[in-house]
Amino acid sequence: MKEHEGFWVFIEQIEGKISEVGLELLSKARELADQKGTYTAAILLGDFSKEDAKKLTHYGADKVFLFSDERLNRYCCLAYSRLITPLVEREKPEALFMGATPLGADLAPRVAAQLETGLSAHCVDLRLGEDGILEQIVPGFGGTMMAVIICPEKRPQMATVMPGVFKKSESHKKGEVIEEEVTLSGEDFIPEAVEYRTKKQKTVPLEGANVVVCGGYGMENEENWKLLEELASVLGGAVGATRPAVDEGWAPEEVMIGQSGKIVRPKLYIGAGISGVMHHVVGIQDSDIIVVINKDPGAQFFEVCDFGVVGDAEKILPALIEKLKERFSS
Amino acid sequence: MPNVVVCVKPIPDPRHWDRLFLDPETGVLKRAGIPPALNPLDKNALEVALQLKERFGWEVTVVSMAPPDTTKALREALAMGADRVYLASDKALAGADTLATAYTLAQLIRKKASPFHLVICGNISLDGSTSQVPAQIAHYLGIPHITHATHVETEDGQLFTITMNIKKGELVFRCTTPFLLAVTKDVNLPRLVNVMGIIAAETKPLEVIDARELELDLDKVGLKGSPTRVRGLFIPEIKRRREILTGEPEEVAEELLNKLHEAGVL
Ligand SMILES: Cc1cc2nc3c(=O)[nH]c(=O)nc-3n(C[C@H](O)[C@H](O)[C@H](O)COP(=O)(O)OP(=O)(O)OC[C@H]3O[C@@H](n4cnc5c(N)ncnc54)[C@H](O)[C@@H]3O)c2cc1C
Ligand SMILES: Nc1ncnc2c1ncn2[C@@H]1O[C@H](COP(=O)(O)O)[C@@H](O)[C@H]1O
Repeated sequence: MKEHEGFWVFIEQIEGKISEVGLELLSKARELADQKGTYTAAILLGDFSKEDAKKLTHYGADKVFLFSDERLNRYCCLAYSRLITPLVEREKPEALFMGATPLGADLAPRVAAQLETGLSAHCVDLRLGEDGILEQIVPGFGGTMMAVIICPEKRPQMATVMPGVFKKSESHKKGEVIEEEVTLSGEDFIPEAVEYRTKKQKTVPLEGANVVVCGGYGMENEENWKLLEELASVLGGAVGATRPAVDEGWAPEEVMIGQSGKIVRPKLYIGAGISGVMHHVVGIQDSDIIVVINKDPGAQFFEVCDFGVVGDAEKILPALIEKLKERFSS
Repeated sequence: MPNVVVCVKPIPDPRHWDRLFLDPETGVLKRAGIPPALNPLDKNALEVALQLKERFGWEVTVVSMAPPDTTKALREALAMGADRVYLASDKALAGADTLATAYTLAQLIRKKASPFHLVICGNISLDGSTSQVPAQIAHYLGIPHITHATHVETEDGQLFTITMNIKKGELVFRCTTPFLLAVTKDVNLPRLVNVMGIIAAETKPLEVIDARELELDLDKVGLKGSPTRVRGLFIPEIKRRREILTGEPEEVAEELLNKLHEAGVL
């Protein structure tokens, strides 16, 4: 086991465009590697040049393993795993991270099974234990607890990590690009990805919004939901939702915040009609200021707020909108 | 008869999750008396299979790994229209993580439900919530997989066109059987159970199988076969101001805005 060394990241790309999550993870890998006095590496597959790959070294990669091939621009699990797994077996990293995105969640378990190693899903934090073992923090058990998952014996230690939990940061270290040979046949491209369609973005994107106004099941109906949209528009922010609100059809799935949705870190988060279960809280806990509106003074969400308003959202929200409009017009 | 296999996981009924609690001494989650229910997405998986059965005359075989007291919940799958259930249940299987679970289910499929055209899973279980088991089953069966499926189409029951939701967009895959598919709730609306189904279910086969009969490598199942461990549990501590405001809506709204202004976020 001693021989396993280095923190690795799979760099997700969609149709040749690199996703943020890979860069975020690379920055975290850099931090962990520095703590442990070891190196970092990125794995990049797709139609990329050496120069493209070199850019990853600006985000903390000591090594970039590049599989450059046009056919890899579009995700295919078998082809990807048949390149990544032998590379990992050859180089023996101690850890390998991927984004907890649909592609990461599709690829990581297959690679982990090929390597017969452990994998933990939807991590919201990674840290080193006193014994140097990677501790993977996963919200669990009905959402009230955080579980610390470890993989004591098998290597690499693998995790998929929620986008948005780590900040990408630039690094001044110099790294190298290692070009790997792509040895694949047609049989590796099964299933065959025949088409990629982008989705129309209907709502203000949550990512990067300075203000997020979020509603829960306590908004009670579609009428009241409009109040959130109005408040968000006055504040120039985006609207988010909890799972029950999405299930009710008040908001689209893309704006669900929490463990199985998005992670946001706005300057101001306002949550109305939300009980404050950990599943949701993990998605907002890095917000600068958290405001909670709930009619139940005993609501769990008040425990983690900066400012809590005890009251009926149906009455509080219109008052807020009114007063804000006054302020902004004067 | 060609087979379509559906992986169905019984979970503690989410309507009673308020009764889940952690034993503070052992750190073990207690499910005290919570009745089992079928994982919601697994009903969508079953619905895909039942529609294929109606079109192509395939048999629908449900496989599951769970404690033996979950058979009542699994009868619901039979009542919906599945032809039979195989439940792997054994003390040796307890404590399995996704790798050990997938290995066990793949072995069950090999032994009892082969040959098959398709294996269909839910994309995620409500309690385990890893989304990892399907791809790992596919690995052990040596077949390709497609997860996050929102549309499943086929003309002939051999060549399938599957849409995968990757959030920023959609990937459309073409795949010929056999392969494994994991579906999201967008794929269909699962049928409801009717009285005829419930009556029919009573006489359909539901077989509980132990580790020995499955000829499992005991080093690869249960806690022993699980590379991951829970090192600990904690309640995250979040330090916040926790200033609680009460009063008439107009007053608190004004007070809140003043506070937000002071805090520099307005
Ligand atoms: C594996 C797993 C993953 C999950 N992932 C997520 C996730 O990513 N995101 C997520 O959000 N959830 C997630 N959930 C669900 C989560 O456990 C909770 O069920 C959910 O967050 C609760 O949403 P809520 O607060 O809107 O609803 P509720 O818990 O029903 O709370 C409603 C609140 O509104 C208050 N209220 C009612 N009426 C009013 C009113 N008129 N004015 C003001 N307040 C009012 C009530 O007092 C109550 O506190 C997940 C669950 C599981 C099991
Ligand atoms: N113990 C199990 N028995 C049967 N199917 C399972 C089991 N665990 C997981 N699955 C299947 O894998 C899917 C995803 O589960 P998970 O990886 O736990 O999120 C479920 O929807 C089921 O189809």
